[in-house]
Amino acid sequence: MSQSTPNYTPTSSTQPSAVAAPPASSLAASRKFGTFALTFSICSPVVYCAVVFLNWPLVTFWPATDRLVWGYEGARAGEGPNMLWYGWTLTAILIAAALGILAVLLPERITRKIPLALVWILPILAIPFVVYSLMPWWRLAFR
Amino acid sequence: MGGVLSTNAFWTIWLFIHLILAVGLLGALTHQAMAVALPARQPAGGIVTRFRAVRASGYATAVCVLWVVTFLIGSYIYTSYRIYIRIPLEEGHYFKTAGFFDFKEHVTTLGLLLLPAYWYLWKNADDPAYDNARKGVTLVLAVMCWFLFIVGHVLNNTRGFGS
Repeated sequence: MSQSTPNYTPTSSTQPSAVAAPPASSLAASRKFGTFALTFSICSPVVYCAVVFLNWPLVTFWPATDRLVWGYEGARAGEGPNMLWYGWTLTAILIAAALGILAVLLPERITRKIPLALVWILPILAIPFVVYSLMPWWRLAFR
Repeated sequence: MGGVLSTNAFWTIWLFIHLILAVGLLGALTHQAMAVALPARQPAGGIVTRFRAVRASGYATAVCVLWVVTFLIGSYIYTSYRIYIRIPLEEGHYFKTAGFFDFKEHVTTLGLLLLPAYWYLWKNADDPAYDNARKGVTLVLAVMCWFLFIVGHVLNNTRGFGS
């Protein structure tokens, strides 16, 4: 089978448009990786918003004392501010990766039904939540 | 640092590297987004047509690498920001600026989490089943990147290089 490179110039109507050329990299050619990657990215905006809402950081970092602790640790006297964003990101990556692995284990007839459009719709839908989660800042700014 | 560089110079260099990588990422993503949103129908016209006529799939891996490296360096700088920039911003009542920086951190993560699908969709660019998803995710990442760049730029103008 001959390989063709991706081509975005308009194709002739006689060319078979539905035939996909195999991608060069073996990872990109793997259907299992595709299921993992698409599930990971589709789930992750929802997972990230949930993690922020529930405040589930995997770690808390204290930049003033360079101290990293597991899980959430609230304000402590003499330690300066805490940073939760690293922990939120790590938790979201782990949960989304677990969901991606779970999707790989499911039969293909099920995973094929996941609408691909969610991969770009869900991050857009996450934005209003993110703006809302920052309400303390907006309250201070507009009081 | 060890006496060779002042603390200010140390963080300024990291901030500068972060900026250069962000410019590269912004350029690559903008080229790609233009190529998928307004594909050039004929080769080599004016500068706008040439801007749109790039082979967009060639940018995918570079965009992922640039996003991750810019993210990691930004995460490193963030520790210094939290102490030396954000506290003075709060004290100066720059609440919108600080709020938008927190907004930026969330958008950065949302973008990072899109990269596996983005990369896979571009590496399978010949599959027409992925056309709409690929176009959508590329445009979303490009808009995110512009947002991140502008917020970072404004924040730097408020209290950045040399602060």
